[in-house]
Amino acid sequence: MKRLSQLPTCRIDPEKKVFITYRGKSYQGYEGDTVASLLYANGIRIFSRSLKYHRPRGLYSLDGECSNTTMAIDGIPNLRTETTPARHGMTVKAQNVVGSPEFDLLGIMDRFSRAMPAGFFYHMFHKPPSLWPLALKRIRKIAGLGTLRHDFVMQVRFDEIYPHTDLCVIGGGPAGMSTALAAADQGLQVILIEARPWLGGIFDYRPAKYLDGFSLHERAGVLSQRVTENKNIRVFLQTAVVGIYPDNQITAFQVGGRPDAYKERYVEIRAKSLVVATGCLERPLLFENNERPGVMQVGCAHRLARTWGILPGKNAVFCTGHDLGLEAAIDLFDLGMEVLCVADNREDGQDAELVAELKKRNIPFYRGWVAAKVKGKKAVKAVTISTVSGTRRRDIPCEVLVASAGLTPATGLLSIAQCKLSYDNHTGFFLPVNLPERVYASGRMLGFHHPLSIEISGRLAGLNAAAGCKETTNGLRKEVEEQLATLPGPPLGSKWVSPPGKGKKVFICFDEDATLQNIDQAFSVGFEMPELIKRFTAAGTGPGQGGIPGHNLPLYVGQSRLPADDPPSPTTVRPPMVPVLLATYAGKNLDMSKRTPVHDLQISSGGKMERVGGWRRARYFSPDKSIREEIEAVRTSVAILDASTLGKFRLHGPDALKALQRVYVGDMTNIAEGKVKYSAMCNDDGCLIDDGVVVQRGKNDYFFTTSTARAGGTIEWIRFHTRYDGWDFHLVNLTDAFGVINLAGPKAREVLERATDSDVSPEAFPYAGYRELLILNTIPVRVMRLGFVGELSFELHVPASYMITVWKILEETGKPWGIRNFGLEAQNILRMEKGHVIIGSESEQRTTLHDLGLGFLWHRNKPEAKTVGAAALKHTENQKGRLKLVGFEMEDSASAPPRDGSIIVDEKIRGYVCTARYSHTLNASVGMALVEDRLSSISERLAIFEDDCNGKLTYARVARMPFYDPEGARLKI
Amino acid sequence: MVFKHEQLLGKSRFRSSYDAVIIGGGLHGLATAYYLAKDHGINNVAVIEKRYIGFGGAGRNTAIVRANQRTQENLPLYQEALKLWPLLTRELDFNLMFYNCGNLNLAHSDAAIKSLRLNVSSAQFHGIDSRLLDAKECKTLVPALDISDRPRYPIFGGMYHPPGGIVRHDAVVWGLARGCIKHGVHIHQNTEVTDIGVKNGKVEFIETTRGKIKTEKVLNAAGAYSAALAYQMLDIRMPISVLTIQAMVTQPLKPLMDHVVSSGAYHVYANQTLKGEIATGSHMDPWPNYTTQNTAYYIKHQAEALTELFPCLKGAKFMRIWGGLADMTPDMAPIIDGNDPVEGYFVDCGWGYFGFKSSAVTGKYMARFMATGQCPAILKPFTRQRFEKHRLMGETAALVEFSPNN
Repeated sequence: MKRLSQLPTCRIDPEKKVFITYRGKSYQGYEGDTVASLLYANGIRIFSRSLKYHRPRGLYSLDGECSNTTMAIDGIPNLRTETTPARHGMTVKAQNVVGSPEFDLLGIMDRFSRAMPAGFFYHMFHKPPSLWPLALKRIRKIAGLGTLRHDFVMQVRFDEIYPHTDLCVIGGGPAGMSTALAAADQGLQVILIEARPWLGGIFDYRPAKYLDGFSLHERAGVLSQRVTENKNIRVFLQTAVVGIYPDNQITAFQVGGRPDAYKERYVEIRAKSLVVATGCLERPLLFENNERPGVMQVGCAHRLARTWGILPGKNAVFCTGHDLGLEAAIDLFDLGMEVLCVADNREDGQDAELVAELKKRNIPFYRGWVAAKVKGKKAVKAVTISTVSGTRRRDIPCEVLVASAGLTPATGLLSIAQCKLSYDNHTGFFLPVNLPERVYASGRMLGFHHPLSIEISGRLAGLNAAAGCKETTNGLRKEVEEQLATLPGPPLGSKWVSPPGKGKKVFICFDEDATLQNIDQAFSVGFEMPELIKRFTAAGTGPGQGGIPGHNLPLYVGQSRLPADDPPSPTTVRPPMVPVLLATYAGKNLDMSKRTPVHDLQISSGGKMERVGGWRRARYFSPDKSIREEIEAVRTSVAILDASTLGKFRLHGPDALKALQRVYVGDMTNIAEGKVKYSAMCNDDGCLIDDGVVVQRGKNDYFFTTSTARAGGTIEWIRFHTRYDGWDFHLVNLTDAFGVINLAGPKAREVLERATDSDVSPEAFPYAGYRELLILNTIPVRVMRLGFVGELSFELHVPASYMITVWKILEETGKPWGIRNFGLEAQNILRMEKGHVIIGSESEQRTTLHDLGLGFLWHRNKPEAKTVGAAALKHTENQKGRLKLVGFEMEDSASAPPRDGSIIVDEKIRGYVCTARYSHTLNASVGMALVEDRLSSISERLAIFEDDCNGKLTYARVARMPFYDPEGARLKI
Repeated sequence: MVFKHEQLLGKSRFRSSYDAVIIGGGLHGLATAYYLAKDHGINNVAVIEKRYIGFGGAGRNTAIVRANQRTQENLPLYQEALKLWPLLTRELDFNLMFYNCGNLNLAHSDAAIKSLRLNVSSAQFHGIDSRLLDAKECKTLVPALDISDRPRYPIFGGMYHPPGGIVRHDAVVWGLARGCIKHGVHIHQNTEVTDIGVKNGKVEFIETTRGKIKTEKVLNAAGAYSAALAYQMLDIRMPISVLTIQAMVTQPLKPLMDHVVSSGAYHVYANQTLKGEIATGSHMDPWPNYTTQNTAYYIKHQAEALTELFPCLKGAKFMRIWGGLADMTPDMAPIIDGNDPVEGYFVDCGWGYFGFKSSAVTGKYMARFMATGQCPAILKPFTRQRFEKHRLMGETAALVEFSPNN
């Protein structure tokens, strides 16, 4: 097809050819083409088959209001070809067809529409019951649109940015550009977002006159240049806004151009003010077969010619309800398309000049006429037009039917932004009322049609936004307001909805193949609210996001079911406004895990890293995951563990002690100097939520540790539980400021001695002691003598920046004893042998401090502290029937330990195994379990049911804990 | 094959007296009303719904059904619930579209495997089909999964539960509503309960925006609004936090996922609806509120998580996101109670985000409770008083904090 590339409005570059492959054939287009315009120029008319009835579907709109032209491109299904730029080498495939779009075997579905009324699924295929699984398989295959292969690999890159701005303007048409310019002149930083690859909107493609002999197209160029040159305005082209959230958080995605390193990027904007200037969509005209290939909207036909240089066909009938339709008919006639007639559903109200122009060209013009039916199966062959009352009809053979009932503002984004929309009787629009604070609208979406009104309304919005950003506009606002009042206001809009004489295939929603008949069926079963009708008929739930039925559905419901005075109400629009690739939302998808200061050392020492909460930690230090050597080192010599993930806090100030007393169950009043105090925190149910140690470093100055998991929530927890007290204390999270090394094993002291001049002898630094030392006379460390793994051990809290150094020093001084790393799994067994619990492993949401045998930590004589959980601890102290933590040993010493999570049963489930391992140290299979209290006494027999045991239980006996070194002698050496 | 369109929702006259009134036209309310009429012959029943039936969680969930819970108090209820869908389809003569595709719950650490083993062992002990799979078996089952070391949380294995699947949620709402109407129950939409009248410790009437109704039995099945309603009208406090939970669907695709797949570490679950959309959701927003607003963060998170598990889904497009409300209790188990502390006042709430799975069966037993005054054994563990006694149920191992005061 010869393209009209010489038109000044044309956006293709006739010098740059682009080839794409469709159905094995290469098709030529030009740079600037979309996939849809390229295919259309090559004579492709059927782009897809519809979801339910497999009806042929063609180009209807150009901004993706429906899924008619969605196709698969390079393996990615469901892409809107009408907004996808054609790139050289693309492979395009039609979707939802068996055969080809032209000859689709499932096209036969269209004949069974009578068997598929709204909600038919609910009444079919369930009798007899054996039918359903078979039907289900069929339904699944037939349903769905595009195909995504399970081994599909996305080859291209995605990006994300998070700009902040004073004003965000959505829509780069005349209103949006005027808004942006007005605000930028007031000094605001502006982001202007336009979905198309160029600015200009409704002015861009129209040769109609603006002022002073300029065309609208030329005016678009002037505005666009001003915007582009304005330093306060940042323009995002080919960027579709998809969500608006509270406080003007706007999400969008931008399609990358040639120089960009990304295919698409996620854009999340924070703006002080927001102006929505998204203009209007066309409201589809409803009539029999209103979606046949060859039926298209006015803007589609007009832009096809003006923007892409493609005449939609040889001849066309126009059925419209707004002046843009008349304008397009005239322009397309002048460009060489035969216009057979123009029918306008409005009896009057047309622009007299346009009517005169039609007459000048001898184009028959029918006032008060509409399309009633299209004839032709795969393409338009003829259209039946009718008077609105249906009294007179006329068949006109034609190739293209340009149809639209009227205009409708593109309010989807406003609806997403939680604006209330209310029906306006004059324009027939749903117009925004009570816009949220610092959200404004401008231009055509407010009903304006006159070019100047559109621009001035945009200007006013820009000034309002500036005022919203606390800029003074020096009376300019009032001036512009008055100017707008003198300009033509919104014209009377067409309210035409139902066709004269109802057909069977009048589609109100193309994506879901929902017809007017389906809506009537919904009425007849008792659904009268648009939202319920939407659910029952699926109208508006397809990829077009209600772009097609959004306005017609509530109007039809209103006209059919509501009392005459009740205004129709629009249905909810939900984000994303335009479907977005998951890859785009995922953006760079950066991994945000935390690393300890000695992360790299852990890896170079052979650590097998695993995610633990937000951290990466070494679980094993042997490729085969055997941890025997790690355990032996701790038990017989010395080893080190990176425990930097422990929560570390400083709490200081006059009321610090009160805060401690509130959250810790123990008594914190007398923590001896140079001592650590082990204690626990409970929640209001007395359940253990955290344990750790507290040291007093000075008057009203405490340093305490929490478990890794609680580090993030501790400050919030303490602040929350002291919120009414007005206490004076400071709380500092030092978790990342200190690294922690656990130096453990009988030779730990020797290793430490060689690294410090301080006296670390048992007398000078006894068990449960706390010292602040210098390593190699230089590096200050805080050292606690603890024994989580059951051996002599020193927990060194080292300033994070010194961690690597101290770590290496200890590795050096420990060499004579073969010091080595141990990881989390070794620690897990070591502490289990010692009977120490790990929160979340031996405890859960039901287990109180008492249940874990840690009731002794609770200091009951501090009622004035109102300790969190104290009431529950008292209440549950002697409660019967609770789960208790016990140790157990397998009856058959040769048998393997049960796997963690196995359950303990009799005729019911009585508990479960928390941790069980074979202990090399003890040469036995031992473990810890939570069991009902009546099974908790020593030597009680536990029957263990493991998954896939086929009823074969194993048995264990409750055993005394700790299993290892019950007297605790090894801690005190 | 053409059928007559019969009324799903009859228009009922508003009576001034009913034998029982159900507050809330969601699944639990409709199911209770249905079984009151069908099983117990009490058909002078009204369902009072503030908006329209299925407005709340009933129409906003992702329709997943399963019986692989953690505790033996929950398992029998969900087990029976799962068996009920085919029976109910027949009984209501309404295709509830139970798609028995099975559920795969992924584990990304040994700790998660341990946690799943408890569920699996408990299920097997109750005769429910559930088993642990290793990563390779997961991949065989769901070829789109990435079981390599690349993801930030590599897949260690999973819990496979063949009897689970999805049920069409709207179908259950409408099927039950139709069943109610057939048995003479009245459904009053656009009607709000404004007060519950109590005299001498007994329910006597309720006030609505359409007038007073005399009744001796009231069920509070108002979903997210239950706790506020109980507190405002009866001064009963319940430990419930209401949080927004969001879900979304992709554009329709030809069959790609044949199971419900979920992952705790990634906070995501996904399944493919019969229409072909991948429906996905998971965690709640971390702050209590009564709006159903969506957040920018959530949909992005969901995309990040899903594409980690299923790299091919980078080529799918999200089409629609919505929000619903979850009424969370501290132990993630519901509150089902009656005649305490007011005679004739019953409550079925606190379902959080599992209210769909067991709605029908709970309605069945709730109806028995209301009809006989005797709490069926299967519902007894869910009493409100367990919180006062600090006897939480262990439905999740993890401590639950919806807000700091939980």
